Amino acid sequence: MVVLAQISTYFQLLVQTVSDPVNIAILFGSVLLGIMFGALPGLTSTLGVALLTAVTYGMSAESAMVCLLAIYVGGTYGGSYASILINIPGTAASAATALDGYPLALKGEAGRTIGLSTTASAIGTIVSMLFLVTISPIILHFALQFTSFEFFLLAFFGIMISGTLTTPDLVIKGWISGFLGLFLACVGRDRLQFFPRFTFGIPELDSGVEVVPVLIGAFGIPQIIQVLKDRLQVGDVQKLQRIIPEFKTIVRNLPKVIRSALIGVGVGCVPGIGEDIAAWVSYGAAKNTSKHPENFGKGEITAVLSTEVANNACVGGAIIPLLNLGIPGSPPAAMLLGALMLHGVTPGPMITFEHPTFIIECAAILLLASMAMWVTGMTLAKQVVKVLRIPAPIFMPIVGMLCIIGSYSLGINIWNLYLMLPVGIISYFLTEMGYPIAPLVIGVILGPMADENLRRALMVSQGSFLPMLTRPVSLALVLIIVWMVLVQIPLVKNLKNRAVGKVFRKRAK
Amino acid sequence: MLEKEKMRKADVFSGAVISLFGLWIVSQAVKMPMKDSWGGVMNVWYVSPALLPLSIGIIIALLGLMLCRIGLKTVGLAEFKNTVRWLLSRHLVWFLTLDTTARFYAMAVLFLTLVFLNLPRIDFFLDAVLFLFAFITMFHFYDDALMKKFLLFYLAGEAFFILYFAVGLDTLLNGIHPFATDLVALCFLAGYALYVWTFVRRNTDLRKRYRLALVVSLLAPFIIGPIFKYFLLVPMPKEGLVVAVLDYFWYLEFL
Repeated sequence: MVVLAQISTYFQLLVQTVSDPVNIAILFGSVLLGIMFGALPGLTSTLGVALLTAVTYGMSAESAMVCLLAIYVGGTYGGSYASILINIPGTAASAATALDGYPLALKGEAGRTIGLSTTASAIGTIVSMLFLVTISPIILHFALQFTSFEFFLLAFFGIMISGTLTTPDLVIKGWISGFLGLFLACVGRDRLQFFPRFTFGIPELDSGVEVVPVLIGAFGIPQIIQVLKDRLQVGDVQKLQRIIPEFKTIVRNLPKVIRSALIGVGVGCVPGIGEDIAAWVSYGAAKNTSKHPENFGKGEITAVLSTEVANNACVGGAIIPLLNLGIPGSPPAAMLLGALMLHGVTPGPMITFEHPTFIIECAAILLLASMAMWVTGMTLAKQVVKVLRIPAPIFMPIVGMLCIIGSYSLGINIWNLYLMLPVGIISYFLTEMGYPIAPLVIGVILGPMADENLRRALMVSQGSFLPMLTRPVSLALVLIIVWMVLVQIPLVKNLKNRAVGKVFRKRAK
Repeated sequence: MLEKEKMRKADVFSGAVISLFGLWIVSQAVKMPMKDSWGGVMNVWYVSPALLPLSIGIIIALLGLMLCRIGLKTVGLAEFKNTVRWLLSRHLVWFLTLDTTARFYAMAVLFLTLVFLNLPRIDFFLDAVLFLFAFITMFHFYDDALMKKFLLFYLAGEAFFILYFAVGLDTLLNGIHPFATDLVALCFLAGYALYVWTFVRRNTDLRKRYRLALVVSLLAPFIIGPIFKYFLLVPMPKEGLVVAVLDYFWYLEFL
């Protein structure tokens, strides 16, 4: 009965959203904007969500979610346009698509490839939506039994895993980035005793570091500097023929679609890991299991299918920990967290009590967004690809302007700009030196949760850390964190590699 | 991102800086109440506001040291000494005058002057037009020599504004005319546009780009600005001459 009631609520919310013409206009407008953001090299869905957050300020929470989820879905899909047509990934999420998408376009199959990526992306989003609806009650059931120790460890785990998996260089750099984010979260008056920390007597710092301007600075400013400093030039755009939905290819490769969707959802659920990793993992899996791995990189259609299903499935996956635990699964989801708080929705285990239908509402919006994305992709792709011809020195300054007005308008505080710009410039240097930005952002977001819960937990246990080892979830998290640290030690790393090698050799025999 | 070998060299320095930063966090955290009373609450170590900052500081300092060690181990002490020698030689000046570095300076100057100097003091729309026009003309011509010339002109103008505000000329002139500062900014904008024009007028391609820059930098603020000002009801950081004119038309004050 409960399931039936949930399904009925789902359809009610779906109809309710569709019946409002304003919501439909927001949905299609945001999807289109998202596709443009994704398609333009240098702009990302994270930046799109960040900039639109300011615009949603005056909207209801429902319309704001329609707008932000639509731009997230559209942006993740839009990256494939630039990958397929000019061999420059529009976003990191579509970098794997370029490997086979561009060779296909060179063969004169650009229309077919874009059609396939559109359908695959829509399917990926819909599958992840199904997971959001089905897994959330289970996670919530467990999360309600979590104590402060578990929440502290979850926050700590989020920062550590994000640092470990998103770093382009040494793992230590990912961790440093995460702890720098945690430090930023400590600025301001602490929430338990109201003691001013690192405020230097500046009253504007008393309330702490505003999350959204920090995110806009950390993601927007380095992007602008990088693109214009390195003079990123867009090459010739391949000709786009008739767009074909490619349902036959999808049906023929159904097992691959399911596997890629599962990879996407799974990677999305891991805190701080973005769509790019989902796409690469899926690409690797498709290549390893293919009968013709030699065709990969030369225009293999199943490669495009695998990456596009996975990166869009990551969208729903990233929202699962965000809504149920308050831990964002990807950088755009981190932006969504900031936006949700702005609209008075605090994600976490209490969400079903405070906003009983919110998760189902998000699922309904995801379905609508994927449908809007499919329709827009099929009908407007030829028009949308024209944005690829806009030179970066024209649109990047406008993005810079949007970053500034967007950061300022959240709280109507010029101090936000004084914070956003230095964070942006420091983030640029960090990126140049191989420090990932995602853990920094995750640190800023999860910092207050880690701080409050650690001290609250220790207060309850009278300063004892023992409950961390006696509670099953805590123990599991402690063990994972310890393992994550240990495997970075060369001696342990060698032992692990030797053990794995032995297992593989035995299997080969 | 840097190449791997350069990255390891940079790691030695960034590791050291991060380590020192971690130590600074620790030094600040130990000043926070650990056992004393704060706001009537007696502290014990585990409820102290210093608990997390102290832990973070120690971890950052240690990770920074580890990074330093990895960098040193990879590049070797001799190579590291060479890098330090390189940094102390004239090569550093050469690096700092590279075209790519100059592009970074240009962007940093444009953003810093906009946020810290212009936005709090000059009408938002004028700031936005100046920022966009300067930004686009510096980068859309794809000519580093021209970019440097434009940057110098822009810097001279901003230096004038620093003096203008520092000596209190704005208070004096705004007393005579309410929008005096905005009019000065408008003059600077016109001066910059004329200065750029002198370099592009004989080149058809550059003239085309100049026109595009002018159109985009005039249109964009007047599309973005009113959305925030009149639809989202966000007051601009500084409302001056242009906002007064827009208000005049928006609220139909002439009727």
